Amino acid sequence: MTTLQLARLFARRRDGDRLAAALPLGSFTLLTAILLLVLGGSQVFFRQTGPNSGVYTLLAVVALTLLVVPLFTLGVAAARLSARRRDDRLSSLRLLGATARTVAALTILEAAATALAGAVLGTVLYAATAPLVGLVHFVGHPIGSAMWLAWYWLPLAWVVVALAAAGSAAIGLRGVVLSPLGVRTRQRPGTARARRAVVAGVIVVLAIAASAGLRSLGEVWGLVGFVTGLAAAFACGLLALDAVGPWYVRVRARRLHRRAGDVPRLLAARLILEDPKAAWRQVAGISVTTFVGVIAGAGLALASMQEASNRDEAWLTADIRTGVLVTLVASFLMVACTVAINQAAATLDRARVHVSLDRLGVPGTLLAQAQRRSVMSVLWTVLAGSAALSGVLVFPLVGAAVLFRPLSVAVVVAVFAVGVLLVRGGASVAARLVPGILARPERVL
Amino acid sequence: MNPLLSARDLTMVYPGSATPALDAVSLDVLPGESVAVMGASGSGKTTLLHVLAGILRPTSGTVTLTTAGGPVGVHALDDAARSRLRREELGFVFQQGLLLDELTALENVAVARMLTGVPRAAAEAEAAQALASFGLAGLEQRRLGELSGGQAQRVAIARAQVNGARLIFADEPTGALDSRTGAEVLDLLLAAVTQGRTLVVVTHDAHVAARCDRIVTLADGRIEDDARQTSAAARGTEAQA
Repeated sequence: MTTLQLARLFARRRDGDRLAAALPLGSFTLLTAILLLVLGGSQVFFRQTGPNSGVYTLLAVVALTLLVVPLFTLGVAAARLSARRRDDRLSSLRLLGATARTVAALTILEAAATALAGAVLGTVLYAATAPLVGLVHFVGHPIGSAMWLAWYWLPLAWVVVALAAAGSAAIGLRGVVLSPLGVRTRQRPGTARARRAVVAGVIVVLAIAASAGLRSLGEVWGLVGFVTGLAAAFACGLLALDAVGPWYVRVRARRLHRRAGDVPRLLAARLILEDPKAAWRQVAGISVTTFVGVIAGAGLALASMQEASNRDEAWLTADIRTGVLVTLVASFLMVACTVAINQAAATLDRARVHVSLDRLGVPGTLLAQAQRRSVMSVLWTVLAGSAALSGVLVFPLVGAAVLFRPLSVAVVVAVFAVGVLLVRGGASVAARLVPGILARPERVL
Repeated sequence: MNPLLSARDLTMVYPGSATPALDAVSLDVLPGESVAVMGASGSGKTTLLHVLAGILRPTSGTVTLTTAGGPVGVHALDDAARSRLRREELGFVFQQGLLLDELTALENVAVARMLTGVPRAAAEAEAAQALASFGLAGLEQRRLGELSGGQAQRVAIARAQVNGARLIFADEPTGALDSRTGAEVLDLLLAAVTQGRTLVVVTHDAHVAARCDRIVTLADGRIEDDARQTSAAARGTEAQA
């Protein structure tokens, strides 16, 4: 029987596995809808004409770059969940003699098919939400129909999402062991070592040097030198975040573990320490947007103090502000979806433990509560760390913004607060799945 | 002697099933005895253990547990109260310890105490003592993946007893172990009985049953046989021989 025939056979056998099928499908739906909305929004920037068109193009590229990390993380989470949820059937196939390669091909094929179906649904969601997003003002007017992408973008997005899912599934499969006895996540020791902090320290010094030399670079090399220096400082900041992130998360989790006085805190700390890199990656997208959000938020707050010399300049400032806020919200939304998917997968993976703990008399949601706490703990760690790092890099800018434009800063803070609530909502998915697991324990034991 | 656990006319019918998993089962478990529940697959032995332990509520019939505060009608308690009862009054050992992978051996045992409100430091001290009494001194900081099957099962037994549970339920506790390790684990469970605890063990293994004071055999949800044995210790020696 070919892999394709097996895939068709499996596609029909979905009885009793609705949740497992719905979660990846739902996540690909969201992923595609967000992708199309982001592309639609970027298109508005790219199509701007007039004296500031170059700046709008640059801003669109920056926004897209910022959203790549959370978008990719979401894609990997969806694909990985897609692979994990087929464990029973996949291990049965291995037991019947199918090779690991056949099973992997089947998984990738199924992930791509699920992604394609989710992408089509996501397009419907995009069509439903685009009019709402169209109400946002850019260049002094509501975006309106400018949000709509040309028809050929849609099949292109479907193909990209399906291929990305297939690629992510292939990468994700490296993290699981497909054996005849079951599918298990490969145990990886946490390797967030202290040398990462040293590397980050060196990069931060470089970033500060690049920032300090901006004016000189501008004087010597003109605008190109200034932009290059700025880009170098920005890149150094991001690299520093990624280098120090897992190590920082581990250090904070160890502190949480030492201080944990109750079971959810103890478990949460241990869940993070199990794999600090994975804990970091889950919310890494937030670190980048926080970094940019703090700098751009402060810069824009101060820029708004000056009277715009003309209408175009006033629109540009307002549009950058809107763009920063929209990028922040989109970033948080994607991280919330990623967290929801990862938590759902973790909860379903641990179904057996949930049932066992319930039998021991442990409150049903304790483990889910610990999972949520582990996510939120890392989120706060990342938020605080990224905000502090960006604050240090542009301290005078942030300080002045807080002093002179507290309202503008408050808006950015409010967006962060909404974002945190979104992620908390995503992290709470696990607790909602537990009653269903406990209602049918015979399915997991 | 008053029974520690008393079940009367227990009937259990799972939703969607026409056949009862338990059919008018009555059973008394005396303090300090070890009871093996045997029977073929599907005979209802695990269901009986779950109903006796308050994991499942019977369709009809009563289960009464004598606690320090007096007799408690387990069958009549709501979910939260039954959970509390299991947490505070009973101990459990499953075929696979089903401990939390992320925690160390010490933490797995300490968590049972912390869930009853004991502060972490005190809980860990008690857990360390419990682990030492099961020959696991020096392994407290090991994670589950770093322990053998037998060691993990000892951790599970320590967890089951650390709260001072007078009644321990075990479901195929030696099922996933080799015969030698299984015998060691059974020794530990029976040692708890000699210390005044009571053991109800579901097993397929005749050697395990032979070492208990009493063997209850189920067939089609009914008690087919309920036999007391004369000297469990002597039988244990014979079984091992």
